[in-house]
Amino acid sequence: MESSIELKPKEFALTGTGQPTADSASLVVLYETHGGRMKSIAMNLLGNTTDAEDAVQEAFLRIHRAAAGFRGGSAVSTWAYRILINVCYDAMRRGRRRPESPLPEETALPRSADADTPLRLAIEQSLTKLERRERTAFLLCEVEGLSHREAAEILDVNPNTSRTLLFRAKRKLQKELSASGALAAAPAEGR
Amino acid sequence: MTERRASCRDLEKALVGADPELSAAFEAHAAGCAACGRELAEWRRLEAVAPSLRRSWESPDLLPRIRQAIAEESQRAPERTAPSARWRWVPAASLAALFAIAAAGLWVFRDSGNRDPLSEHWRTTKAPVLTDEAIAEVDAAEQNYLASIEKLSKLAEPALAGATSPVLVNYREKLEILDSAIAELKASIDQNRGNTHLRRELLAVYQEKQRTLQNLMKEVKS
Repeated sequence: MESSIELKPKEFALTGTGQPTADSASLVVLYETHGGRMKSIAMNLLGNTTDAEDAVQEAFLRIHRAAAGFRGGSAVSTWAYRILINVCYDAMRRGRRRPESPLPEETALPRSADADTPLRLAIEQSLTKLERRERTAFLLCEVEGLSHREAAEILDVNPNTSRTLLFRAKRKLQKELSASGALAAAPAEGR
Repeated sequence: MTERRASCRDLEKALVGADPELSAAFEAHAAGCAACGRELAEWRRLEAVAPSLRRSWESPDLLPRIRQAIAEESQRAPERTAPSARWRWVPAASLAALFAIAAAGLWVFRDSGNRDPLSEHWRTTKAPVLTDEAIAEVDAAEQNYLASIEKLSKLAEPALAGATSPVLVNYREKLEILDSAIAELKASIDQNRGNTHLRRELLAVYQEKQRTLQNLMKEVKS
């Protein structure tokens, strides 16, 4: 589990020319440390594993191209997530949009069914109706567990805006899921 | 110190979570308020289930694919960053052309009626205002340039529309600058059609546009 996204600029070792090479250990470290979370974010934005993996690959290419210009204003990982999200937005603009219904069977990933499964599916469906930045704020903070500070850096907004985006996302989801009865079907044991 | 209290009206502020004291007070309120209690329970349930949306799957090919793509791009990069010798002159030539236009502009604004850079035709008078006959002559010269430019523009249009090479992009940018200069000069001339300097400058820019289009067509053909 990638509980923290802290990867300091100094860890993003560059070669003498300031440009990471194809074999650069830093890119591998970045992938090994954050690749899983990057795939997850891309999957939840784009809706299938193929597009998600393509987006992660494109993000790494852009990171490689831009590495020489990275000045360490933020953690490398935050910068990488921002690039990934821009790649996903580009893909969404090109028309490879997330399906308006839950993921098609062939692309849905096998997961063990539990009492939360209906609600999880309902959330996935409702997420598609959110405004893009609200959805991203929800994915970063509630799904991936990033802080407002981290989400704000990734979204390139201030932390208060990030907090507002997240609040609006959750409130809209809550209202829709409550109206549809999805939230009312809570397990008896509570949390 | 008095204990902070919250009411139903504080619901949204408490859910935003920016004020931990208010959130705690609202929680105490919700314990005794059925409506707020339900809202809070739904909110918490949403927060509890959200992490299960996280996706995880094996992608054994992804890292090798990334490394391969980067390696391929690195091999192509020198080609992109080092333009062939054939094109190296283009930025300098563009700058030189712009400098020439600027110099021509400055020159025609000087009081130098007997040193017309364009044509003997337009050495009409030392007076800054053209006669009717001279205006007709200049109009005719402009029409000749315009006809030539229009013809060349049509020929160049397909090449410029899909321009991606640095050379063609340079030409396109230069033509845009010239068009902008032409529009500004025409606007000024509309207010004073007899102004010698403005008419000469417009002709100089037309001439430059014509030359640029001719050079562009040579490039396209070569």
